[in-house]
Amino acid sequence: MFRYIVRRSLMMIPMMVLISILCFVVIKLQPGDFTTQFLHDPRISPEMVAQIRTRLGLDQPAHIQYLTWVKGIVTKGDFGYSFAYKRPVHELIWERMAWTVGVAAITIVFTWVVAIPIGIYSATHKYSFLDYFLTFIGFIGVSIPSFFLALVLMYVYLSLGGTAVGGLFSQQYIGAPWSLGKFVDLLRHLWIPIIAIGLGGTASLIRLMRANLLDVLGTQYVTTARAKGLAERTVIYKHAVRNAINPLISIFGMQLPSLISGTIIASIVLNLPTMGPFFYDALLNSDQYLVMTFLMLSAFLMLVGNLLADIMLAWSDPRIRYE
Amino acid sequence: MKKCVLAVLLVALLAMTVSAALPPNPLVMDPALFQEIGTKGGELVLGLGSSPRSFNFYGVVDGPSYTVIYNFLDPLVMENPATGEIIPGLAESWTIDETGTVVTFTLRDVKWSDGTPFTADDVVFTLEHVVMNPNAEGNSQDRFTLGGKPVEWKKIDDRTVQAILPVPYGAFTRVLSHALILPKHKFESYIHALNPAVEKGSINKAWTLDTPLKDVVGTGPFVVTEYIVDQKIVLEPNPYSWKVDPEGNQLPYVDRLVYLIVQDAEVMMAKFRAGEIHRITPTGQNYPGLKQDELAGRPYKILAGSPVDPTPSPPHLSFNWDVADPELQELFRNDTFRQAMEYTVDRHRIIEDVYNTLAIIPGVPVLPANTAFYNPEIENIMRPYDPEQAKQMLDSIGIVEKNGVRVLPSGRPLEITLTAAANMQANNDIAVILKSEWEELGIQTHLQLISSTLVGEKRQAGEFEAMIEAFGNQPDPQLRKAIWQPGRPLYYWHGSTMDKEQNPIIGNMVGWELRVFELFELAEVEMDPVQRKALYDEWQAIFAEKVPVIFIAKGMALTAVSDKVGNVFLKDNGQIVGTNYTIFMK
Repeated sequence: MFRYIVRRSLMMIPMMVLISILCFVVIKLQPGDFTTQFLHDPRISPEMVAQIRTRLGLDQPAHIQYLTWVKGIVTKGDFGYSFAYKRPVHELIWERMAWTVGVAAITIVFTWVVAIPIGIYSATHKYSFLDYFLTFIGFIGVSIPSFFLALVLMYVYLSLGGTAVGGLFSQQYIGAPWSLGKFVDLLRHLWIPIIAIGLGGTASLIRLMRANLLDVLGTQYVTTARAKGLAERTVIYKHAVRNAINPLISIFGMQLPSLISGTIIASIVLNLPTMGPFFYDALLNSDQYLVMTFLMLSAFLMLVGNLLADIMLAWSDPRIRYE
Repeated sequence: MKKCVLAVLLVALLAMTVSAALPPNPLVMDPALFQEIGTKGGELVLGLGSSPRSFNFYGVVDGPSYTVIYNFLDPLVMENPATGEIIPGLAESWTIDETGTVVTFTLRDVKWSDGTPFTADDVVFTLEHVVMNPNAEGNSQDRFTLGGKPVEWKKIDDRTVQAILPVPYGAFTRVLSHALILPKHKFESYIHALNPAVEKGSINKAWTLDTPLKDVVGTGPFVVTEYIVDQKIVLEPNPYSWKVDPEGNQLPYVDRLVYLIVQDAEVMMAKFRAGEIHRITPTGQNYPGLKQDELAGRPYKILAGSPVDPTPSPPHLSFNWDVADPELQELFRNDTFRQAMEYTVDRHRIIEDVYNTLAIIPGVPVLPANTAFYNPEIENIMRPYDPEQAKQMLDSIGIVEKNGVRVLPSGRPLEITLTAAANMQANNDIAVILKSEWEELGIQTHLQLISSTLVGEKRQAGEFEAMIEAFGNQPDPQLRKAIWQPGRPLYYWHGSTMDKEQNPIIGNMVGWELRVFELFELAEVEMDPVQRKALYDEWQAIFAEKVPVIFIAKGMALTAVSDKVGNVFLKDNGQIVGTNYTIFMK
């Protein structure tokens, strides 16, 4: 197992190099660069724009720009400099990390805590009224884009006289020290993002859990367990669910990158102080090193997530061995 | 009794410290800015469409950053927010010698918000090392370089500064009103010329958003006291603020000015409706809904004022004189063709359909509200919508209709590709309307609706046939010289008037372009306002007659404001006034 982990970790290095090249190519395929926005401004002469391009190194060939960036990372751990904010990229990402991970983690927990029990219920009570009802809600959740759901929720809440829309806090609590009032205010704001962003994931997890469990419930060993006279609880939770949950563990690994990238449009619509809108802005401005670092971080989390999922699978399923 | 005396003493002391903060010669703001004298206190909450990128005015080119920075930094001379006229700022007075090239400023006796005295050193430092710094991303080198030579700055004494211009420069005080003065004691360590230890580009790294806010000092009415990443910025009154209301009360009135950072326009609107944000700039599309709310008694009102600001930029239609196709090139250079096309522009329909009636017929391109420069004569020259007239004029230059299609002299059908930014609603909609008008006339029109970035690139590369673009109108035409003077980088419809080194090519200009070129050169060095206006009047008349570009409409100034806010109102002349430091909370 240990050798397997080491091997997988080493494999990540060429993968990351490949991903970084791909990301850089995609960024460079975008028309224009950071300085293009200045062409619209009569205050800035094209001569000046050329000067800025030189200073930012944008006049050099793309592969040189890429290699310089990689060299900075390898030799100094420097992920580059944001053209827009004039600050090191890692600082900017770090500043936004707490809320980003916080909101995403709460949403993911919400998704799983809600989805798994409902999935189990649906499977064990299949074709009951509640199963149909939850399936119906599930399909709605899958089919509505989260940003749209966010808009609808905000609209409904506003029409009902609510005022806590957008952001995580009311204005007076932003930046204030923590207090009971601030916590309550956070809860008043937080439910819309959690439902809006979480519902889509919840719905698909419910469907998956239901389908898997139904498969397992039809297998012979479940029949055997029941025939042995085991309690239905034991049959379901000890034997069936444990086997049905395997594919979901892989999905859990895939969710790691969404900790930071999450749903960008929903975050903009909900005015969350997370990385999503920030990244979107950087993309629009062609703030290339910021975009690169962000994409790399996201790719890295994806790889780590996959590895973690595989390890967890081996732990939960004794049949899986990687040696 | 003793306690009582002590209390009185304390109050007196407090009063003294407060009044001590007011400089000996404060600036009394124009009474036109006040509907009533305000009361102190309260919190004004505004929205900001995205995070600022920096607190460094010269380090970035970024609207939201400027919005915040204008609250805490001041220029030497400023624009009166009520009239746009130039009035004293950090310089309490100035004189111009008889040659028109030496301007002597007497500085106001004020302090930076950290208590350090403001002196001539700050002025000379800012203009020499920051404004003219080629490495500063937001520098203003171009505006202070005349005839290839920079304006020189000289400290006479602590309160006197002299500007020595290479040639007289009519718009000098106007451009100076956009040059905010920085504190030398907080900024000099970032300047390579004064501190060789730092690299040349480090000027841009001064006052980034992670700077301790006690170091971000200013002379403006406010100081920044809090910044929460991507969420809000809080400003509080500068104790040394030097602006007062007509009764002598120190401005600003409000205790806190808060900018909430809200990226999405709909959320911004929701927050305004919920009362969380006190004032926003809505779009024409929002107007009917907000007006309905207002009439239904919601606690806010919406004002539509005559346009005075550079934005929203008025769209115009242009034809590329340097288009590759020789036949189109000849056509687009034909004055009669462009004049005929002006007759196809139904400005009134556009104002109704595209702008919800919240727009006016634009100037050419000086705004009618700009009394200092507007030439009313152009109203008689501009061509109203008249498709019949357009048809006759096209016939007269040999673009005749055959089987419903207009053909070029070579017999080829006349086809025009019209480029506009799909993500700029007005430009996009105008292009659609023009297409239908032109097809009525038998001109086959292809719309190329693409992102504004791509429009900008095609514009600068000269890769288009016809285009809807928009440039903001500045109060002084000198500041738009880079656009409207032939041979300049943004005179894009006739790009061949400029060579690769960006020098004008006189030989490529047609007769009236030459005259326009000359007018801008003359007006630049003219110090007499009456003479300057006469020169720019002639330019406007030529543009209206020859239509190098066809101006279409100018959106009105809109503001929606909570009933809790005082001193935001429509003046008698139809303009909206209300600045952050004259606003008070009811």
